[in-house]
Amino acid sequence: ASPKIKWRMQTYAGPALAEHVVKPAIEAFNRIAGEEMQIELYFADQLVPTGELFRAMQKGIIDAVQSDDDSMASPTEVTTFGGYFPFGCRYSLDVPVLFNQYGLDKIWKEEYAKVGVKHISAGSWDPCHFATKKPITSLEDLKGLRVFTFPTAGRFLAKFGVVPVSIPWEDVEVALQTGELDGIAWSGITEDYTVGWSKVTDYFLTNNISGAWIGSFFANMDRWNALPDHLKELLSLCLDTSHYYRQWWYWGGEAKLRVEGSDMKLTTIPDAEWATVEAEAEKFWDEIAKESPTKAKVVEIFKKYNADMVKAGRPYRYS
Amino acid sequence: MPGFIVAYVKYVDKFNRVIGRFMMYGIFVMVGILMWSSISKTFFMPSLWTLESAQFMMVAYYIIGGAYAIQLKANVRMDLFYGEWSVKKRAWVDAFTVFFLIFYLAVLLYGGLESLFYSLEYGQRTRSAWRPLIWPIKAVMCTGFILMILQSISEFIKDIATIRGVEIK
Amino acid sequence: MSYGMIAITMFSLMMLLMATGQRVFAAIGAVASIAVMMLWGTGGVEIPFTAATKLMTWYPMLTLPMFIFMGYILSESKIADDLYRMFHVWMGPMPGGLAIGTIGLMVLVSAMNGLSVAGMAIGATIALPELLKRDYDKKMVTGVIQAGSSLGILVPPSVVLVLYAMIARQPVGQLWLAGVVPGLIMAAMFIIYIAIRCKLNPSLGPTLSKQELQQVSKAEKMRLLGAGLLPLGIFAVMMVPFVNGWTSLVESSAIGAMAAFLAAIFKKRLTKTVFENSVRKTLAISCMFMWIILAALGFGSVFDGLGAVKAIEQLFTEQLGLSPWMIIILMQLSFVLLGTFLDDTAMLVIVAPLYVPLVNALGFDLIWYGVLYTVTCQIAYLTPPFGYNLFLMRAMAPPEISLRDIYGSIGPFVAIMIAALVLIMIFPELALWLPDYVYGK
Ligand code: NA
Ligand code: NA
Repeated sequence: ASPKIKWRMQTYAGPALAEHVVKPAIEAFNRIAGEEMQIELYFADQLVPTGELFRAMQKGIIDAVQSDDDSMASPTEVTTFGGYFPFGCRYSLDVPVLFNQYGLDKIWKEEYAKVGVKHISAGSWDPCHFATKKPITSLEDLKGLRVFTFPTAGRFLAKFGVVPVSIPWEDVEVALQTGELDGIAWSGITEDYTVGWSKVTDYFLTNNISGAWIGSFFANMDRWNALPDHLKELLSLCLDTSHYYRQWWYWGGEAKLRVEGSDMKLTTIPDAEWATVEAEAEKFWDEIAKESPTKAKVVEIFKKYNADMVKAGRPYRYS
Repeated sequence: MPGFIVAYVKYVDKFNRVIGRFMMYGIFVMVGILMWSSISKTFFMPSLWTLESAQFMMVAYYIIGGAYAIQLKANVRMDLFYGEWSVKKRAWVDAFTVFFLIFYLAVLLYGGLESLFYSLEYGQRTRSAWRPLIWPIKAVMCTGFILMILQSISEFIKDIATIRGVEIK
Repeated sequence: MSYGMIAITMFSLMMLLMATGQRVFAAIGAVASIAVMMLWGTGGVEIPFTAATKLMTWYPMLTLPMFIFMGYILSESKIADDLYRMFHVWMGPMPGGLAIGTIGLMVLVSAMNGLSVAGMAIGATIALPELLKRDYDKKMVTGVIQAGSSLGILVPPSVVLVLYAMIARQPVGQLWLAGVVPGLIMAAMFIIYIAIRCKLNPSLGPTLSKQELQQVSKAEKMRLLGAGLLPLGIFAVMMVPFVNGWTSLVESSAIGAMAAFLAAIFKKRLTKTVFENSVRKTLAISCMFMWIILAALGFGSVFDGLGAVKAIEQLFTEQLGLSPWMIIILMQLSFVLLGTFLDDTAMLVIVAPLYVPLVNALGFDLIWYGVLYTVTCQIAYLTPPFGYNLFLMRAMAPPEISLRDIYGSIGPFVAIMIAALVLIMIFPELALWLPDYVYGK
């Protein structure tokens, strides 16, 4: 028998990554909801290209989306913060704290409601590191490097001479081999190994430009409102298991692969030199804050949170 | 055939021919952009805009050029039966099936316009570092769909003329 | 409607509409539009456009007009004339030599363009009349040219492999290199076949007369040997920077187009007519391909979003309960079968997305499968009634070649291609050795 309610959800992740970060949660939901509701999961660019992803959900062409705000170019005030906001977070646990205790969740829900989209929940992914074909040991090495990265991270990294290149996620591996790309600044080492990028790059830079990714589940507002309450709750719970899975999967993987991984050599830019990048991020935040009151509010929250963490000292921040 | 219908065919065919013959030199624009891309990458800094603008040029090339390609009879047909038919029989069948072509183009146009309006409303930009506004290329695509619909109607009229045994010059 | 029913209905409707002789892209696009409007739900009508915007970010697509342009410059400007003459004077004295030389010509032309159009044009307009004039067997040489020109999609550069690379998300460079050895093996098999047949029956491929051979001086023969360097030069200018990673794929394709263009200018072959024809035909053929791909992308998304893809996956893996090898063989058979009615480009864009994930899940190498796929495409190009090369041959062949000759000529060559396919299946190293060697993995 066919289910009473059928949703199409498209994730921005390709099949290899989705296997970990979304598929188990959706399968669990489908098993429990049974004939009441089934969600068909589609991978990056499978039904609609990422450029049209937000619009497709807003119009109800597809029902739900897993993505960060930045990648799907959501027309909201918070777009620049989703994905990797440069140096906004140090650890993956920072994300749920910022959302649940420092007020980001409320801002996100309001912003998306304005454009007809339900923000279900945010979670965090891995940190953002460079994986490149040539070794990076100083800021000088970043100049002219053609790198696949997030739009906002790209804008920031352009200050150091990086040339951000935007192509479909699925084409990155090929582009590294055909010479369109010199490297990526997209993920942590776990993802590099999981999706095969470690095979086509040689070096991993241990300095990161963000400690954790902010990504969310979204749904078309009308479709969400049409769900009975118990299915809303079941869906939220299942999607939370996806956030939880990522917390330990990445945290464990990052450490283990640095120690045991054999595909990539680790390189580091000295802390003193990297501090100039961090200082530049503060200026970048201020530029963003000037763009609108909502953005100013989010930046203020990031600043307050980071200041609190520094004051709290170890293990929250090491100075 | 009524005069205004003959005039329609004449003007649409001529307009699309001129536009198409202009677009066909787009191949050199693409070659030029990509050559510059190779040169700047090898000798200076890689350019941010080359790949994307070559890609946009390509989209314009085959969508705006599409109506002229119809005139050139470039589109493949499965000619297992079609190839054996007389000119008149082909015109009869085409006069019906051309509406599938027009229907498909109309669906593309509808989707294209919706997408274009969205891009205009939100000032959507591409995700690249170059970040050009995306609406111009969508507007180009919609224009191409309209030109192709006009051309398909012209083809339909020419089929009717063939069935009636008249020729539209 | 069940997923299986949706799949069957959509495919049969498309076949039906194609059988009416309406443009292939319109048939694909209209069926996708009708299905999506009836079955998708909210907003479905926008899918054919939305899905088609994938073409806007598929940057390797740019190579398509480049390689098409390159092919037309080569065939229209007749800079391949000397190339043909080279084989003519050097190979002419042996039995079947001109036919064997034509295969050689086809290999060189394949190295300079990504489709079979250029090979076909050069073969049908330059080689074929010469061969017929010298009493070569009509059927055999018609087959030689069709089969030889199909090497265009296996020997790099190859547009089919670029398309496959985009769908399977595999590196184009490795795929191209993977096509080299199988392409050369297949050419060698064609040559052996011709040599054996002409040895057994010399009247199929008579040697050139002494008189004709004496007309060509030693110096002229040496000069013509130099003509063979041109294609190697163009190939090198394009491939060396690419394989070394100095230029990207699309940049290299532009360099190739530029090199062919400059070669035509320097050889003083770029007349106004040649220029006009090349530029116009490039637009026409690019539009033909792009519009089929555009429609097929929409069809693919609709097919997928309506659950039909799942039905096909289940059919292969669960319902039929086959071993991985059986599935691969069945897939290749279905390709050849579909290739008898479906346009080859459409087949690639519609069917490959269904099969590639399955091939991957079964644990096969996707580079290797790309070569299998391309050889199957070559076979489909040649098998009536729907064969790209058959169309081209019909359009370009001199009048003394009838449709019957064209259809009758391909049998032995299809058999050779199937033998090559089996060889590559049994010995995957034939395809994988070169990319492994160059990219060192
Ligand atoms: Na080729
Ligand atoms: Na065929």
